Amino acid sequence: MELLLNILYYIGLFLILLGSIFLFLGALGIYRMPDLYNRLQAGTKASTLGAMSSILGVGLVHPQWFVKLFIIVLFIAFSNPLSSHALARASYRSGVKPFLKEDGEDAYAEEVEAEKARETEKSTL
Amino acid sequence: MKRIFVVFLLLVLGLAVYRAFHKAPFGQNRIGDVERPQSVSAFYLKHSPETLHTANSVTAIVVNFRGFDTLGEVTVLFLAATGLASILYRRKEEEEATEKAHLPGRIQLPSSTLVRTGAKILFPLILMLGIYVFVHGHLTPGGGFQGGSIIATGFLLMFITYKRFNVNHNVLIWLESLSGLAFVLTGIYGLISYGSFLQNTGWTGRLNDLISGGLIPLIYIFIGIKVGTELTNVLDTLLHTKPRRHE
Repeated sequence: MELLLNILYYIGLFLILLGSIFLFLGALGIYRMPDLYNRLQAGTKASTLGAMSSILGVGLVHPQWFVKLFIIVLFIAFSNPLSSHALARASYRSGVKPFLKEDGEDAYAEEVEAEKARETEKSTL
Repeated sequence: MKRIFVVFLLLVLGLAVYRAFHKAPFGQNRIGDVERPQSVSAFYLKHSPETLHTANSVTAIVVNFRGFDTLGEVTVLFLAATGLASILYRRKEEEEATEKAHLPGRIQLPSSTLVRTGAKILFPLILMLGIYVFVHGHLTPGGGFQGGSIIATGFLLMFITYKRFNVNHNVLIWLESLSGLAFVLTGIYGLISYGSFLQNTGWTGRLNDLISGGLIPLIYIFIGIKVGTELTNVLDTLLHTKPRRHE
């Protein structure tokens, strides 16, 4: 039992370190990426993984808090991708153009145009 | 040049902060001996666990020692909500009149299925968290104001996700008024049975129990309901009053 707790303790410390590295990379990504969408994905992916693994790490270091912290992890796993999806979608629809290469193709544009046309038709009826 | 200026500015600010705080006695006991209180803080710290049996001394101060002040704060919030509603209400009527005339409004695209499903799952959880926070106000950090705000964020999520999400205004207004009235009635109960307004009951239970602290959890639940409904009302008024179009 003692040995198991010790092993869990060191795994927890490692997870906290890993989480802080990911959080740092996320911050770097937000600073360095060229446009909103890249920044959003850098921030979200890194902070989801970083926050989740550091919270799990704290849960392993202090096993009596594990259940509560696990609920927080589930909440982050549920809400963080959702919020970034909503942000990206809303910003595309309000006209933020993605960063493209010279011959890059914006595959999402057609669908948005079609949906806008449908909504306009509905509202004029 | 700009960078040098920024560095210079930061240095000046840092120096100012250092000069302001380097003599402040951080980490020292400035409250004094809690067992023999000389200051107000020590009095609060001694009496909130001992005589009121409230684990969270901040709640004991907010709801019991300075309960009258909290009643005033709730009133400020109520006045703000009422003022906002009375200013915006006329505009809402005008807007409804133009909508009846079938004038084209701004096109609002619906949220994606992902967001709608997620909001539907999260909404009851957020409400539950808010209720948990204000029911445990005398045990853990947080309380009526915080729990009420959490509840209002849940409603905000629903408002921005669903175009047609409506709350019943009458229910909100009744809940708000009744909880405000209940707060005042608890105060009057103290006045009648113990001789001063908002006086706590003699029975306060055991420290760290959910039902302890006498009237403190009851008052915080009233505050939680009041703040939650009030903020939801404000959000509803603000979101469903569209800005006036310029012709």
